[in-house]
Amino acid sequence: MGDCQSLGDCEDSRIARLYEYLDGALSVDDLNDVKKHLEHCNECAQEYDLECIIRSVVKRSCSEQAPDALKSRIMTRISEIRVEIGHG
Amino acid sequence: MGGTEGAVMERPACVDWAVMTDSNNRTETVEAEAETTEQRRARFERDALQYVDQLYSAALRMARNPSDAEDLVQEAYAKAYSAFHQYKPGTNLKAWLYRILTNTYINLYRKRQREPQRSSTETVEDWQMAEAAEHTSSGLRSAEAEALDHLPDSDVKTALASIPEEFRLAVYFADVEGYSYKEVAEILSIPMGTVMSRLHRGRKQLRELLADYAADRGIGKKGADRTSAAKKQEKK
Repeated sequence: MGDCQSLGDCEDSRIARLYEYLDGALSVDDLNDVKKHLEHCNECAQEYDLECIIRSVVKRSCSEQAPDALKSRIMTRISEIRVEIGHG
Repeated sequence: MGGTEGAVMERPACVDWAVMTDSNNRTETVEAEAETTEQRRARFERDALQYVDQLYSAALRMARNPSDAEDLVQEAYAKAYSAFHQYKPGTNLKAWLYRILTNTYINLYRKRQREPQRSSTETVEDWQMAEAAEHTSSGLRSAEAEALDHLPDSDVKTALASIPEEFRLAVYFADVEGYSYKEVAEILSIPMGTVMSRLHRGRKQLRELLADYAADRGIGKKGADRTSAAKKQEKK
């Protein structure tokens, strides 16, 4: 199981660490620690893979195209707006 | 100097990193003050309208039905156009639009949907604390990772739609759009710490739902996962 303690004391904090890793929210030092750990801990590496897959699946599923009509509706709407300069 | 300043953020290769500055918009120094209405409209059409698909996708996570999502996007664009002089060229236009979309949703659409009770985003945290997600282990293994990868889009969308809205939007902006905690915080107008906790809880719930869908479809069930699958069944 490896030295999972280096990622956190409990499962929750280890997962939080992996999120930060995936989110690009770690300093270089911390990032390297996680990277090193993932290299020889199967369990955490699987967690990591899973998170990657979930992200790609969600991304894949949630990229709808706006209907063509919407774009022209927006343009029509905008052309009706008189912009008051200095408003707000 | 030194220490924290020098710490460069690095990012693992599997994630897209939304760049803070739009190189597209940067080249041009727009004198927003001096431009005519016509010029502004043209600039808006050229720069802002290219994100209509992304805004529509995000709106679908808010409004939950296509026709309301369209209205929401249209309204957000109208607001954005009216406030376009407040947008600073060279900063992230898409994030700026997302923020307007989110505000439009919160102020206009959601208010209409529910009774105009409290509008503080912070109190929302509490009623979501029902700890539906506080299972000790998701029980997922790589066979299930494989299974999740094969889930139909409709399942994934339903799963995302099933998690509480606050979590859903944080997850959407971070995981689909690849925004940083700070950017998500700006888009949703909430503190960074709140972003992190919403992400944590939202991802966890999403993951469990997806695992359930995969199990329901009979994919990804292997001997080793029986126990966790059985555990989930009991909880239903």
